[in-house]
Amino acid sequence: MYLNKIEKRIWFIGLIITIIFVILPLGIDVERSFLIYFLFITFINITLSQGWNLVAGYAGQISLGTHLFFGLGAYLTAIVWLNDFFGIGVDNYYFNPVLIILSGTIPAGFAALIGLPLLWRLRGDSFSFGTLAVAYILTIFAIKLRKITGGADGLHLPSIVYESMKPYYYVSLLIAIGSTILIYTIAKSSYGLTLRAICEDELSAICHGVPILRYKILTFAISAFLAGISGSVYGLYLFHINPDSVMNLNWLFYPILICVLGGIGTVLGPVIGSFVSTALFCIGDIYFRQLHPLFSGMLIIIIMKFLPGGILQYVKYLFIKYSKEV
Amino acid sequence: MISLQIFIQILLNGILFGSMYGIAALGLSIIFGTMRIIFIAQGTMIIFFAYLCYWINTLLKIDPYISLSIILPISMLFGYVIYKSIFREAALMENKNISLLLAVGIMYLAENLMLLLWSPNPRFITTQYSSVVLEIRGINISITQFLAFCIAFGAAVFSFWFLKNTFIGIAVRAASEDVEATRLMGVDPDKVNAVTFSLGVGLTGAAGVAFATVYSFDPGYGFVFAIKSLIALTLGGLGNIYGALLGGIVLGVVESFASFFVGSGWTEAISYGVFLLVLIFRPRGLFNVS
Repeated sequence: MYLNKIEKRIWFIGLIITIIFVILPLGIDVERSFLIYFLFITFINITLSQGWNLVAGYAGQISLGTHLFFGLGAYLTAIVWLNDFFGIGVDNYYFNPVLIILSGTIPAGFAALIGLPLLWRLRGDSFSFGTLAVAYILTIFAIKLRKITGGADGLHLPSIVYESMKPYYYVSLLIAIGSTILIYTIAKSSYGLTLRAICEDELSAICHGVPILRYKILTFAISAFLAGISGSVYGLYLFHINPDSVMNLNWLFYPILICVLGGIGTVLGPVIGSFVSTALFCIGDIYFRQLHPLFSGMLIIIIMKFLPGGILQYVKYLFIKYSKEV
Repeated sequence: MISLQIFIQILLNGILFGSMYGIAALGLSIIFGTMRIIFIAQGTMIIFFAYLCYWINTLLKIDPYISLSIILPISMLFGYVIYKSIFREAALMENKNISLLLAVGIMYLAENLMLLLWSPNPRFITTQYSSVVLEIRGINISITQFLAFCIAFGAAVFSFWFLKNTFIGIAVRAASEDVEATRLMGVDPDKVNAVTFSLGVGLTGAAGVAFATVYSFDPGYGFVFAIKSLIALTLGGLGNIYGALLGGIVLGVVESFASFFVGSGWTEAISYGVFLLVLIFRPRGLFNVS
């Protein structure tokens, strides 16, 4: 009962914050505001991190292939657009919802495909490094298959269609909220409980009749879906997709850092982590230009050393301590 | 068909380069043995000590092989300090992801520090004997390559001796068999971990010097090197310290042949492919007989 009260309160606060975000562009100059750009990046990060969070936090499988699915989403968007695969004319692909969803679905299918051998045979560290190896091989393909991917230079989307920052803002907000609600629903369902059981003790889960391979593959695919759509939206923003921009290892490290910072295996952890770390990165980028990656390395070490449970756990700890004293 | 001479040349190049992977993998293996984490910053550490060697050579004009006697103690001390200051609490925790992420943080920090201080330009050390080449029946080995192999081999032999014959080495091996039981026997896990770490990072010091004298390096190469040594570790079998060295050499040979036959752009894809196949079909390594 007590927890439910808190949950209701969190939902209420979340709703208010969402409404603020929805009406925010009405009050400020969207095209020139840094805040809008900052929020756009934050929302992309939330979507990406929620995906990683599901696999790592709930199912307990540390995937090191996030940048692969992110890049795949961005590349698919560009390839479908430039080749006009839908046959609707090159002008009609900009923020086409079918295209964005497709850019998530194909990585999800691909994740299921590679997940089958990887998740079937590999556990723990081996699984992590298996995904990393697959990501590396795909990156090499992206560089080498020049006819499809444009090689190291990449693909250029027609940037003439760019009109306003608004669609980016709203679409990213939508996918961030959508992914958070999705993770919340999963966490509350029996599917989420099953994942927790797998995370706690695989052997025991098997003994209780859980088809763990099926669950793990499904989870991996959902995570790839979220990474794919966030990659697609980010690709639409970049207009220039190349291995260096979308298959960069940063897209692997950011979600990890964000989840760790906020709290792995919680619904709100990645949200809080995204806001905090994107803000830190933006500050780092503006004020100490080159030092910013240095900063993030230091940040990871400091957080892991002093707050191994993440910000959310610390807040909870403070909250409980405070409410007990009262 | 290629001639026997070229075949042997490629094989030899592979073995010589593979010994670099081997010694890095050996360090990874020793650290993995007691702490059960992959110290992903290993490769970046190697590049860091390669830079140290480079600067000692450039600024102080000390011969790289003599600077080994400075770098080895520094690197071992460095490993000890890193363990005591960063990993100490995390190493004893049940959740290994924290240690893994700490290692990622160190890697990120070290790599960007090097980028900032020493620019992304590749560096290499040139000495008077850099261009000396031993030729035996048309097969060429440069003297630096040979010496690098000797350093790697010597460091490996020393590690094996240390683990086999000293009391603390035996404790390290015991801890890698069963941490709980070792603790019950009265061995302090903290001490064991500290020794492992300084030995593991000490090996990166040796590898750094060996690498710097032969090949060119830049800060971004560290992560690639770490992944390669990870592959070597998997080929040799996780936790098998002899296998790690052999695994590195196998990987070197595979890469050497792949870059000759398929072209250098695809080499990486092939070594990752081999890695995946071994992970899936021989998860305990190539040299595991049981």
